[in-house]
Amino acid sequence: MQPYLLAFITGLTTGGLSCLAVQGGLLASSLERQLESDLAARAGKKGRTSTRAAFPIFLFLAAKVVAYTLLGFLLGALGAVFQLNTLTRAILLIAIGIFMVGNALRMMNIHPIFRYFVIEPPRFITRYIRKQARTGTEYLAPLFLGALTVLIPCGVTQAMMAVALASGSALQGGMLMFAFTLGTSPVFFVVAYLTTELGARLEGWFMRFVAVVILILGFVSIDSGATLMGFPYSFNNLTQLALHRDTPALEPSAPASAQAATELTLEARNNGYFPDRLVARAGVPVTLNVVTDNTQSCSRGFVIPDLNVETVLPATGTVPIQIPPQKAGAQIFFSCSMGMYTGVITFQ
Amino acid sequence: MKKTIYTITDMHCANCAMHLESLEDILPGVRAIEASYHTGRMSIEYDETCLSEAEILAAIQKKGYTALQA
Repeated sequence: MQPYLLAFITGLTTGGLSCLAVQGGLLASSLERQLESDLAARAGKKGRTSTRAAFPIFLFLAAKVVAYTLLGFLLGALGAVFQLNTLTRAILLIAIGIFMVGNALRMMNIHPIFRYFVIEPPRFITRYIRKQARTGTEYLAPLFLGALTVLIPCGVTQAMMAVALASGSALQGGMLMFAFTLGTSPVFFVVAYLTTELGARLEGWFMRFVAVVILILGFVSIDSGATLMGFPYSFNNLTQLALHRDTPALEPSAPASAQAATELTLEARNNGYFPDRLVARAGVPVTLNVVTDNTQSCSRGFVIPDLNVETVLPATGTVPIQIPPQKAGAQIFFSCSMGMYTGVITFQ
Repeated sequence: MKKTIYTITDMHCANCAMHLESLEDILPGVRAIEASYHTGRMSIEYDETCLSEAEILAAIQKKGYTALQA
């Protein structure tokens, strides 16, 4: 029972917020449709309506729990085949980002062309749904998008997926993922519900706000994908270089200062990597020791795109990563597995 | 049978298209309605002996939308 309780508590504490940061856009997209149809109903003077936001959020989360439980079953039973590699995840992040930006521009009525970012179900399906239930489609989107979250797990979720994988049992894997995803749900629900209730009062204004949030999340998603691909001109990586242009690479207090040349120490903390800029000796093999100390955030999924390094760090421990000799002036970017926390190693 | 195409200026989402298509179930003499959020248009094929254009426009307005003849 204990591992399941632990999984639930991890979800309840760090998993909820971490997942909300990564998957909040999909939830916002699904609720946006609910809000829009409510606004449309009001425009139709059908009388007073409420957002009825609780039910779509519930459906979104229920679909998410079901999808992740199934994933847990698969991971437990079938092993690493089902883990998405870095490139796939990067492409997925960029695609989702473009989808979100397009939808935000559509909501802002920038140009009718952006209407094509909404998928119109085929006529026979809408006709069928209409005949089945008046409210049918309002609930399909949250269900579908909730299930889609399975494709963009956050760092904490990935760590839990690794545990499910290691369990080597379909039942255990499924139970672990079920407990964890259930744990993430309350945070999702409370944040999303409060947000949509606010929207019910402020109506159209709130739609603009949602559009701006989706727009920003979309750009973040695209940038994270670019960072994850090792693209040096992503906003994350450019900021990394710009912020440190005039400062020494390693502060005197940095843990790696004493042995900067061939052995580096990098701390993966809950809020990022420290120091986030390292200097290593060029032309010789370098060991990068990534240290975690009760770390529970995205930073545990550690990626160096240029070296094809992708690993899930233990909550506490040290993972040595061997870096082959690099030319002087070379820069290697590293990030968490969602491309959110970043850093760079410069070779001299 | 007569076919008329309207431009609907205020559709918010794909759901709106479905709202408009539900006029099929309400208005008499309608053979088919196809509304698209992508194009912002709605086409209606109807028996003009059972239904007038004014009635169609009134029904669209009742649903909360504004129709212009395309």
